[in-house]
Amino acid sequence: MTLELLEGNDAIAASAIAAGCRFFAGYPMSPFTGLLESMSRRLPAAGGVCLNAESEIEGVNMTLGAAAAGARAATGSCGQGIALMQEAIAEAALNETPFVVFNMARNQQDYFQATRGGGWGDYRTITLAPKDVPEAVEHAQLAFHLADRYRAPVIFYGDPLLAQTRVGVSIRPLDFGPLPPKDWALDGTGGGTGRSRQIWTWAMGKATDPGPGPDRHWRAVAEKFAAIDATESRFEQAHVEDAETLVVAFGSAARFVEYVVDELRADGHRIGWFRPVTLWPFPGAALTAATTGKRRVLVFELNAGQMLDDVRIHAADRAAIRFIGGVSISESGLAFGELMDAPVIRDRILAVLAEGERP
Amino acid sequence: MERELVVTGVGGQGIQLLAKTLALAATREGRHAMLSADYGGEMRGGPSRASVVIGDGPLRALPVLASAWSAIVAHHRFGEPVLARLRPGGPAIVNLPLVDPASLPRMTVYGVDATAVATSVGAPQAIGFVLLGAYNAVTRLVDPASLVAAMEELLPPYRKQHAAANARALEAGAAAIGGRDVRHAEVRR
Repeated sequence: MTLELLEGNDAIAASAIAAGCRFFAGYPMSPFTGLLESMSRRLPAAGGVCLNAESEIEGVNMTLGAAAAGARAATGSCGQGIALMQEAIAEAALNETPFVVFNMARNQQDYFQATRGGGWGDYRTITLAPKDVPEAVEHAQLAFHLADRYRAPVIFYGDPLLAQTRVGVSIRPLDFGPLPPKDWALDGTGGGTGRSRQIWTWAMGKATDPGPGPDRHWRAVAEKFAAIDATESRFEQAHVEDAETLVVAFGSAARFVEYVVDELRADGHRIGWFRPVTLWPFPGAALTAATTGKRRVLVFELNAGQMLDDVRIHAADRAAIRFIGGVSISESGLAFGELMDAPVIRDRILAVLAEGERP
Repeated sequence: MERELVVTGVGGQGIQLLAKTLALAATREGRHAMLSADYGGEMRGGPSRASVVIGDGPLRALPVLASAWSAIVAHHRFGEPVLARLRPGGPAIVNLPLVDPASLPRMTVYGVDATAVATSVGAPQAIGFVLLGAYNAVTRLVDPASLVAAMEELLPPYRKQHAAANARALEAGAAAIGGRDVRHAEVRR
């Protein structure tokens, strides 16, 4: 296995192209800009198209169009730019058009945006939150597979460390199993083949070929998301069996927590960690199991407490939950602040452990 | 075994390029490497820091290092936060006379006047490669030939004319250390 030393953004772009992504449109915004630049360098050589759109709104709608024609297509930005894309993402979720949104976020204040969404309707977006660049390379491909499998937009939730750290990685196409044919894709012929279907959020169909209509269609879409919720949640955990204290974190923050927990265990603390790999569907049943009987459930995230809501919904005992994260952004406003640091996380965990000690 | 290096200096000293060169050299040798860069918006004179981690398997180290084994200190400004995380006893290459070797009392310090060494081999712009050559002579993290190859690979077409001078700087940096433990070594020209 030959390793290539690639900046995260570049590795993610290369992996997306290895997965068959052939269309990309976006608007520069740090730390996403490197991904757009990499796509613009790499896609033409792969026979694809990369467009620097006039804004995020154009970018996501161009992507929606390419995806409706059957291409593996993606857009991206950071959370602030993805705020502008919410209407198109909701539209794609309801009209069942698969594409990938690469959120190379500035920090972790995008959790609600990713898991709750800001558009209209009974939809959710599958959200993958890798913890390091090697996993980001895998998720860049898994995102397209899940999008195509469920005909739904998928969010890849990156961050500045994933975007800008250079790591030795190996990029090759990954096989996640068979997919249904895209017999719904628009083929550019007006009623020619008969295989392409009109894609419309209300699903009224054509005068000569009526669709199910909004009532049946929206119920079917909701049922689809319920089925995804039941089957596609992913998580990772360690030292849960003997832990008195469990720390819950996602993305890069989870990697830092994992590091700190290893140190604390070496010092004799009975502590473990739990990481949702998919933020939606949230691995709720797994978290309930992992938190059962735990004295403390600590939530660490770099925001004012967003994943905290999901932990509160699913933890076995809500009274055991303590929030140890917080808003933390660099002076530039473009990257993590000082909270994303192992010694700081260690101190916060130890402070809670000390509170709970009996005299 | 994982080895961490922090490099700190000011913009214009070649901090980012030397760190990238070491990380690429290790990668080309088939090892795992991670490179994190941290620099100010200024082209020159602002903070410029980088960290490199090299290991034989998937790396445990975080992209924001919790602690580090070794250092290259090219300038005394801006280094404090990263230098505070050095584990005692590890090697530190310091750029004399800009950096006071006594500022790292707990490290095994090797002083090199990188500007003098670089100038002496006709590569006055390549002090970063002098420091990297010296660092690798002490730590032997990669084959010196891998550093030269990585340096050449990283040069854009319009900079290829500097390859020979950069290679001399790498070699002169290693010679300035001489492969010996030369704590607080005198300047060698």
